[in-house]
Amino acid sequence: MCLAVPMQIDEISGLEARCSAKGVSRTVSLFMIQDRELTIGDWVLVHVGYAIQAITEKEARESWELFDQMLED
Amino acid sequence: MASSARDWIEKIRGLETDRPVRILNVCGGHERTLAAAGIRSLMPPNIRLIAGPGCPVCVCPEEDLYQLIRWAVAGEAIVVAFGDMLRVPVNAPKSEARSLEEAKAAGADVVAAASPRDAVEVARRNPDRPVIFHAVGFETTLAPISAAIVEGLPENLFLLMSGRLTWPIVAQLLASDDVNLEGLVAPGHVATIMGATEWAFVPQEHGVPAAVAGFTAESLLEAIYTVASRAIDGAADLSNCYSLAVRDDGNALARQMMQECFEVTDANWRGIGVIPNSGFELKEKYAAHDARRRFPVLETDRKRAGQMPAGCDCARVVMGRIAPNECVLYGAACTPRSPVGPCMVSDEGACRIWWSSGIRERAPGADAEASPGP
Repeated sequence: MCLAVPMQIDEISGLEARCSAKGVSRTVSLFMIQDRELTIGDWVLVHVGYAIQAITEKEARESWELFDQMLED
Repeated sequence: MASSARDWIEKIRGLETDRPVRILNVCGGHERTLAAAGIRSLMPPNIRLIAGPGCPVCVCPEEDLYQLIRWAVAGEAIVVAFGDMLRVPVNAPKSEARSLEEAKAAGADVVAAASPRDAVEVARRNPDRPVIFHAVGFETTLAPISAAIVEGLPENLFLLMSGRLTWPIVAQLLASDDVNLEGLVAPGHVATIMGATEWAFVPQEHGVPAAVAGFTAESLLEAIYTVASRAIDGAADLSNCYSLAVRDDGNALARQMMQECFEVTDANWRGIGVIPNSGFELKEKYAAHDARRRFPVLETDRKRAGQMPAGCDCARVVMGRIAPNECVLYGAACTPRSPVGPCMVSDEGACRIWWSSGIRERAPGADAEASPGP
């Protein structure tokens, strides 16, 4: 339930962003991190349709390595 | 695996202690990483990793779920719930729907959602029908739910509040006489919202070291090493091993939204009982969206002792008192295909995670009597 997935911002329109990860694209709300300066290419942690925090690319890639392992199981 | 994960394992194996160091985690995501990376099998004998109450689905009170099923079956509203909740069983006569999934199969309007925004969308598309969204989860999930409320809910959307805070149950476990814990791995995404300092009470009030961990094997192993080495040294402090996402004060804006929407109240945890200040209720200003006020709440005289199906030991699994495969039903009467208790249903449940990681057999000597069911 608390799983949050790192995704990269492809487009921003107000407080909505189009984000993608692993070829999957989703509309994500930036409402909870509207106090952060965000640009296209930034990474965010997404939980139940909302970005809960901005993260670095390094953290995003490490998290995905782990998810990939789990998906292979 | 990153080589640094191997480095952490070597460091953990190098810790010298002749007494057990029991380290609790309270997060299904952590439990999944432990299982996926096979971390338990790599630990030295004295470092014991205990799965604690990390599954909000598993501790959602049976009466909340029963209520939702009844509302759905009676056609009171369209019920929208996270997919994880749909298969969770309640105790009910065989003639009645015993899960939201069974209610849906019987023709009730039940919709699986991945986001509170899905519930908003369902309400907008059905303006002439009431819609009930099941607001279940820990702080990580209740924060986005508060964002959806602040953004504005359609008039016909109501919330059934089943959200819970994580720290009070940990406080209760640390204070209890029958659970000895030497360390805590604190939940990374809860801390992303609430801040690392929320866990400072663990070393300060209980003398137990704690570390906030992320979800990579590396971050989790760093946290395990940190609390284990502190425990062995007899020291207690709070470390943040997930500083990339977690700040001391968390996401301040998200916490503001939660404070605007929710009161913290005493709350029932399935199979565990009432824990003070551990639940979220809607504040009076949002009372018009409270499902409990809008719909008839069924008074049922059915026995709720234990709130678990007969023979089911989920309550002790959730509290870290037994490992999943020490339940007498594990892998026999209870499997993901035909789950008896919530811990085998939810992707976050310790039993389901253990099963998915390939553990199919009950633990040797697990033939003891299970706690009697209701």
